[in-house]
Amino acid sequence: MWERIFVILRKEFIQALREPRMRVLLFVPPILQLIVFGFAVNLDVDHARIAWMDMDRTPQSRSLRDRFTGSGRFDIVSAPGSEEDVQRTLDRGEAEAVVRILPGFARDTARGRETEVQVLIDGTNSNTASLVSSYAASIIAEYSVEVLERQQRIKLLARSPGSPVSMSVPQVTARSRVWFNPDLYSRNYFVPGVIANIIMLVTLMLTALGIVREKEIGTMEQLMVTPVRPMELMLGKTLPFAVVGLLDVVLITVVAFLVFHIPLHGSFLLLLFCAVLYLMTTLGAGLFLSTISHTQQQAMMASFFFSTPAFMLSGFAFPIRNMPVAVQYLTYLNPVRYFIEIVRGIFLKGAGVDVLWPQMAALAAYGIAVVSLSAMRFHKKLD
Amino acid sequence: MNSVEIQDIVKTFGSFVAVDHVSLAVAKGEIFGFLGPNGAGKSTTIRVLCGLLTPTSGRASVNGFDVARQPEEIRRTIGYMSQKFSLYDDLTVEENIDFFTGIYGVPREKRAERKRYVLEMANLTERRNALTRTLSGGWKQRLALGCAILHDPPVLFLDEPTSGVDPLARGAFWALIHDLSETGHTIFVSTHYMDEAEYCHRLALMYRGKVIALGTPAELKAGLTAHSLLNLDSSDPLDTMRALEGLAGVLDVAVFGGGLHVTVDDVDATSARVRQRLAAQGIKVRKLEQIEPSMEDVFVALIEAEERKAA
Amino acid sequence: MSYRRVRAICVKELHHITRDSRSLAMALAVPVLMLLLFGFALSLDVDRIPTMIYDQSQTAESRALVRQFQGSRFFEIREMVSDYASIERNIDRSRILMGVAIPLDYAKKLAAGREAQVQILLDGSDSNTASIALGYAESLVRSYSLELRTAALNHRAGERLAPPVDARLRVWYNSSLESKNYVVPGLIAVILQIIAALLTSLTIAREWEMGTMEQILSTPLRPAEMVLGKMFAYFAVGLTDATIAVLVGVFVFEVPFRGSLPLLAVSTCVFLFGALFWGIFISAATRTQVAAYQLGILSSFLPAFLLSGFIYSIENMPWVIQAITHIIPARYVVTILKGIFLKGVGLSVLWPELGFLALFALIVFLLATRKLNQKLG
Repeated sequence: MWERIFVILRKEFIQALREPRMRVLLFVPPILQLIVFGFAVNLDVDHARIAWMDMDRTPQSRSLRDRFTGSGRFDIVSAPGSEEDVQRTLDRGEAEAVVRILPGFARDTARGRETEVQVLIDGTNSNTASLVSSYAASIIAEYSVEVLERQQRIKLLARSPGSPVSMSVPQVTARSRVWFNPDLYSRNYFVPGVIANIIMLVTLMLTALGIVREKEIGTMEQLMVTPVRPMELMLGKTLPFAVVGLLDVVLITVVAFLVFHIPLHGSFLLLLFCAVLYLMTTLGAGLFLSTISHTQQQAMMASFFFSTPAFMLSGFAFPIRNMPVAVQYLTYLNPVRYFIEIVRGIFLKGAGVDVLWPQMAALAAYGIAVVSLSAMRFHKKLD
Repeated sequence: MNSVEIQDIVKTFGSFVAVDHVSLAVAKGEIFGFLGPNGAGKSTTIRVLCGLLTPTSGRASVNGFDVARQPEEIRRTIGYMSQKFSLYDDLTVEENIDFFTGIYGVPREKRAERKRYVLEMANLTERRNALTRTLSGGWKQRLALGCAILHDPPVLFLDEPTSGVDPLARGAFWALIHDLSETGHTIFVSTHYMDEAEYCHRLALMYRGKVIALGTPAELKAGLTAHSLLNLDSSDPLDTMRALEGLAGVLDVAVFGGGLHVTVDDVDATSARVRQRLAAQGIKVRKLEQIEPSMEDVFVALIEAEERKAA
Repeated sequence: MSYRRVRAICVKELHHITRDSRSLAMALAVPVLMLLLFGFALSLDVDRIPTMIYDQSQTAESRALVRQFQGSRFFEIREMVSDYASIERNIDRSRILMGVAIPLDYAKKLAAGREAQVQILLDGSDSNTASIALGYAESLVRSYSLELRTAALNHRAGERLAPPVDARLRVWYNSSLESKNYVVPGLIAVILQIIAALLTSLTIAREWEMGTMEQILSTPLRPAEMVLGKMFAYFAVGLTDATIAVLVGVFVFEVPFRGSLPLLAVSTCVFLFGALFWGIFISAATRTQVAAYQLGILSSFLPAFLLSGFIYSIENMPWVIQAITHIIPARYVVTILKGIFLKGVGLSVLWPELGFLALFALIVFLLATRKLNQKLG
């Protein structure tokens, strides 16, 4: 039995390495995804670009402006002079918000009359917009309280001169402690997840294609009339991709560690072990797809329409927490979801088996189910 | 013991009956030819015998193993070459041989010898390192045959092995098949080239899923001797055909190459009547002579008889 | 260029498309299904952040702060706990994202007019959610603090004054601040890009594989005619997809549609031309369907998803990658779709994007034609 598996393995490697395109496919997508997710993907909204329209032009309005720039959260990128400018700035997306200070701002505040600062926010990106609005609101509120404080103090002095100038007022501050990813780098979150994507990309489609290709060119029929057993054929066709998948895990981990300085808090061996569990599910799914497709084109379509939702609904880019409840239940059927949780747990939290066992058990159950399902469907028959 | 035995096999795909109550037996060492037009059910029958398809009803056995119940045992004792070239064309000749050697589990000590034998047989020794896709049709065919006999199977199934191969290479291929048969291999081969039928020890003619004739080439031809065959070469074959229609003693007229083959019951009397009728119509007769029926004549006659029966 | 030959190719391709009912169903149903599934499922809204509070102080003052958290739509208080360990354990198991700890001396410090610190513990592994959650938590504490200060000042001065400056926030374009409103238009662009590449990338490679290419080569057909003919056939499918997608976006997801329909139609067509030509170019450059397909996915799906500004904002990327995004058509169509849907802007704002898409389509058309020419030669 090992003999036959071995000759299939050798054949697969010869075929894969002889084809230059195959080499490209095995190594370019991982690197591409690493670069993009390591360098480019950044959801951080710590800096918002705003336009500043000051119609008052007084020391008071400038002091408010200084508070915005001094907060470290806002970059003032332009100063529109007219309504049309404001409109254009937002239409073109040149700034995320426009702060408008109306004429008479200084005069009104000095007289203790209520005045307003307008903040026009581009709501297109709802996240940025809600953060911008809460930052802007609190800066303005703080300014407002300080103005109030000064006025109260003046009143107090006017009523009873000689009373202490400074008064202590209570205040509450938040001191935050961020665990696992203290600098809140997006890449720490995304790069480990790339492992899950790459493994799926490499193993699922290539397995399905590899088998269906043999069906198409007729070599599968030739193999079926030999004494090779279905299990041997399945193993021989999938093991090469399992090896490639594990190599990708090592490659990505090394790059993540050396290039992106992403800490690996947990055990690398555990990561590899979980990768094997995960590989069982993706290879099994690939086998399954190959049993339901007759042409390579069908196999590609099928694997695309399996892997896209699996990717989108894995929590890799979009938090599962935010999905509708029905869809959240659906994600329990998605092996990628479990592996993403495992990878992030091991990399960022240093989680071990005691924490990750439910995910590991789910992957194992999934893998066994899908492999036996495809083994059942994988006959040495044409009908 | 017969190498292949088929009893009343039926194979349907949905409502389509591909193989319709076929029964036959093939003795050990025989070259058994399976003749018939495309779509007659030859490939389906071969696939049933290889255990690739499950028969809808009926029984068949190969080397004494039942096709439905013991397909794995059958696979160890047969070689199969499918209609389409089906080796890996991105592997070299030698890599393909090594691959199938491993898959068939040829014992280690026999490997070198089998490989040398196959390379020599297929005349590929010098091209052992060539990529398979660079070989021409005839070479590929011999390599495919070589890979199918690496484990020295007692029975070989060849499904239209010579389609798309030039005549010269076809001749060489049949010589190989004869050599194999002489060393005791049973060969079950399908073809739609009538001239190849003559190479077989025994033939089955298949048409629309049924075996409509079975026997040695000589027996099949003898089946036609109730009638005689005339070769008629005239100035206008089409007009001739029309002229001979309904003429007493003429059983059938078929276009054959540039001339016509006329089936008659009495050679002398009918020849005279044919000459007479054609002369009356102003058609010149260049040649009219009795000939030995070829396999193709047999085939055409049998199929026409079958169609008349159906109608 | 002969109109009749282009039409002949186009009709032949349409036959291929309509005969293969399975592929046609896929080409038409799958985009809609993807849009429906992802449109509902992909949300970046950060709200109802699962939170635990450890109130050591247990005073009226600390409970007032807890009420602030409870009243906010951004936080969902899962439990009030009585030690740090439960917070740690639950963060470890990803049951909660945030913990709030109110110190023992909270009320005492406030009464003394001093600074009281509230501790926020955060699971930072999802940096995006974490930083947004942190932003909300800090803002909440700060505005609560300002309220306390105002009250204390007023109390001290013995006279009530309202805070003089009021922030008047107005959200434009997506005033309900729902992420679906910007996810869905971007999603339409991404899906169209993928479908267009999928549909066409196989078309010429298939003819190579089946050998029909050689047949066609022996006719007077010119490469440009072949490219155009094939493109128009798949254009019909792509346009149907686009129409359905827009209808789903407007009527199912209720994304506001503020711009001009003709402009949307024109830009979708121009975009489809480019995307389809790209698929044909890939198809012409490769000999097998498998290679064509994989190249098609690789060159359309990843860039459209990652580098188009669909969810990952381009301004945040390093400049090298920002420069690369300029050659990605999906980037422009995402801008156009968001602009037309949400902002209702017209040609005066969007002409550079539309211009680029047209230029892209033209260049890729020429490339595809040239590639096919080379192959024939």
